Amino acid sequence: MNISNCELHTEYIIASIIATEADMKDFLFTLGCYPGETVVLISRLPSMYVVAIKNSRYSIDDDLARAICLREPVRSVQSTLVDRVV
Amino acid sequence: MKIALAGNPNSGKTTLFNAITGRVEHVGNWPGVTVEKKEGSIKTSWNPRREKMIIVDLPGAYSMSPYTNEESITRDFVQKESPDVIINIVDATNLSRSLFFTSQLMELGIPVVVALNKSDLIQKKGIIIDSELLSEILRCPVVRTVSTKTTNNGLGSLVEMVQKAFKEKKKQQPLHIKGVKANATKEEMGQIDQNRFSVVNEIVKRVERRRIDSSHHTFQDRMDKVVAHKWLGIPIFAAIIWLVFSLSQSWVGPWLADVLVGWIDGFYGLVEGVMGENVSPVLSSLLLDGIIGGVGAVVGFLPLIMVLFFMLALLEDSGYMARVALVMDPYFKKIGLSGKSIIPMIVSTGCAIPGIMATRTIKNERQRRTTAMLAPFMPCGAKLPIIALFAGVFFGDNAWVGTSMYFLAILVIILSGLIIKRITGDTSKSYFIMELPEYRIPSVKRATISMLDRAKAFIIKAGTIILICNAVVQILQTFNWQFQVVGQSAPDTSILASLATPLAWIFIPLGFGIWQFTAAAITGFIAKENVVGTLAVTFAVTNFIDVEELALVTGGADVMTVFGIGAIAGLSYLVFNLFTPPCFAAIGSMNAEMESPKWLWGAVAFQLGIGYVLSFLVFQLGTLFTTGAVGPGFLGGLIASLMMAGYVVFLIRKNSTGIIRQVAEKVA
Repeated sequence: MNISNCELHTEYIIASIIATEADMKDFLFTLGCYPGETVVLISRLPSMYVVAIKNSRYSIDDDLARAICLREPVRSVQSTLVDRVV
Repeated sequence: MKIALAGNPNSGKTTLFNAITGRVEHVGNWPGVTVEKKEGSIKTSWNPRREKMIIVDLPGAYSMSPYTNEESITRDFVQKESPDVIINIVDATNLSRSLFFTSQLMELGIPVVVALNKSDLIQKKGIIIDSELLSEILRCPVVRTVSTKTTNNGLGSLVEMVQKAFKEKKKQQPLHIKGVKANATKEEMGQIDQNRFSVVNEIVKRVERRRIDSSHHTFQDRMDKVVAHKWLGIPIFAAIIWLVFSLSQSWVGPWLADVLVGWIDGFYGLVEGVMGENVSPVLSSLLLDGIIGGVGAVVGFLPLIMVLFFMLALLEDSGYMARVALVMDPYFKKIGLSGKSIIPMIVSTGCAIPGIMATRTIKNERQRRTTAMLAPFMPCGAKLPIIALFAGVFFGDNAWVGTSMYFLAILVIILSGLIIKRITGDTSKSYFIMELPEYRIPSVKRATISMLDRAKAFIIKAGTIILICNAVVQILQTFNWQFQVVGQSAPDTSILASLATPLAWIFIPLGFGIWQFTAAAITGFIAKENVVGTLAVTFAVTNFIDVEELALVTGGADVMTVFGIGAIAGLSYLVFNLFTPPCFAAIGSMNAEMESPKWLWGAVAFQLGIGYVLSFLVFQLGTLFTTGAVGPGFLGGLIASLMMAGYVVFLIRKNSTGIIRQVAEKVA
């Protein structure tokens, strides 16, 4: 599973990043997008995906969405919301 | 004391820089507005002891390992030019990503002061950050700042902290990250950075509390759904662009221009009166027609440009620019570019130079060079007077002339993109990723400051380069080669006429093979505003804008008679000036960004070719449709156009055989 075929508004853990462009993997890392970190798909736009990584929104294209492979979801965002209420 | 300003893209570095130095550098609400370093000294109001403090604004970077060109500028500066203190701007709404870079900066051995910027936004978002604890953990000063505010913004204490850090010269201890060493291999670096993020995540866990999860669907996300909608995205973009240009060129701009031209006319009359009858006619005509007339013709269009800059500043401040990039990405991919190429093009509608420089944020070399080549096709602020003049003279001020020029520019960009893609034969694809800044209501104050600053630059340009050019043009057309004053009856014997006439025949197929137009097109390469100025001087038409009516041009028909060309040739001349290479300064920028003489000369030749062929098509097809026969010089122009097209086909062929050969060699 990757970002192009995951559920909306669900927290996923990144399993691996398979990018053909070598630098892209390093760049994603600096944004906090690397195996073990979480990512949430916010919306699907025509040939574009909006994802939340570490409190920021990014738009990524189809190819990059397919390059970010995910693990099965652990829990839904709703429950994390409750967890984090101060 | 030299202070570097470093932080993530769109964290508000330039806004803070402007607030602290009083400068007016370009700001915008998208990542990658600043693409070069800029220096300024700190205002005395923030620096009461008047210590010498130079501050350097740097392009945004996510880390010390640069991904794009502008990020390397930042890394190189902090590593090699050893600033005395680094102000690290941390976007308080995204602490964890920002602190990754902070931890790297702290390892340089230079004192770091953290400015926790956008502190006002975190309250709205229900985020609580314990800045004292953060300062304690990082073992460096942390100051809360709101650089968009003018008072109570924390800048005073920031400057104090910087001075203190400089004086103490105490070596700050970097964060303890496992495995950090000077000459780490790539694999080791990967592991170190993993450790770095774990340390940062731990810090964030301790200092930050969030009431609302950021992955929650927000108003911003709903806005994105609309502006990036499958069917609505492009029409919304077109409507916004149309609004920007019609406000500046058809409604507000001309109305303001009217007032200004009244003043210029008054000034002309005043100077004429002061000089009286006794001043030599050569001198009086140089001053009145050459300088006041020529410069006045250009300055008269200043309000149009100001309204355009104001509208563009509002647009840039809103956060919409990044959305345009994502809307356009699928279409730009088809011509071998990416959505990132649209931003330099929109910036170019103000001025092509910052537009070309904005291509630095594009990683792929061919895409970057192609964008730098195509962005100047967008009509810039300096081309606005030409559009307004020709729309007024030949088309009764019809708004469609201006708007259609922008859409024609987009069409030309698409076609050219395709041609360049075929010539270079590069089919490499690149990923698209862009941070989406939050939408905000654009600040009228910031837009006004930006508008006034650019208006000032325009007036300075009009008072220097354009004034000199007009004076030179006036002198060259007053005298002949024997330095005798040319009579009214024989203007074609002047130095200027004899220089421009031999070139004018090239333009016969385009409908304007007249030396005055040739001279104006040439001075246009120095600055595009010169086209209008030179036309005003050479045709001795001092005032293009009507004072009485709300029309841009006084007696369009009169000016048309003076110009001696028809509407179709007028349109052809307009197209020629818009689509030939930009001014020399912009070509200089292209040279700097392309970093390849081959690409630069190719680009200039390509732009010349596009301008010529397009203008030829407009004139000849227009003449054919209106009169039923082709215009003068058709055959010559056709041959020239076919030769240019043939050369392009040759280049494409050459390249495709090259690719086949490469593939064959690989197979073999």
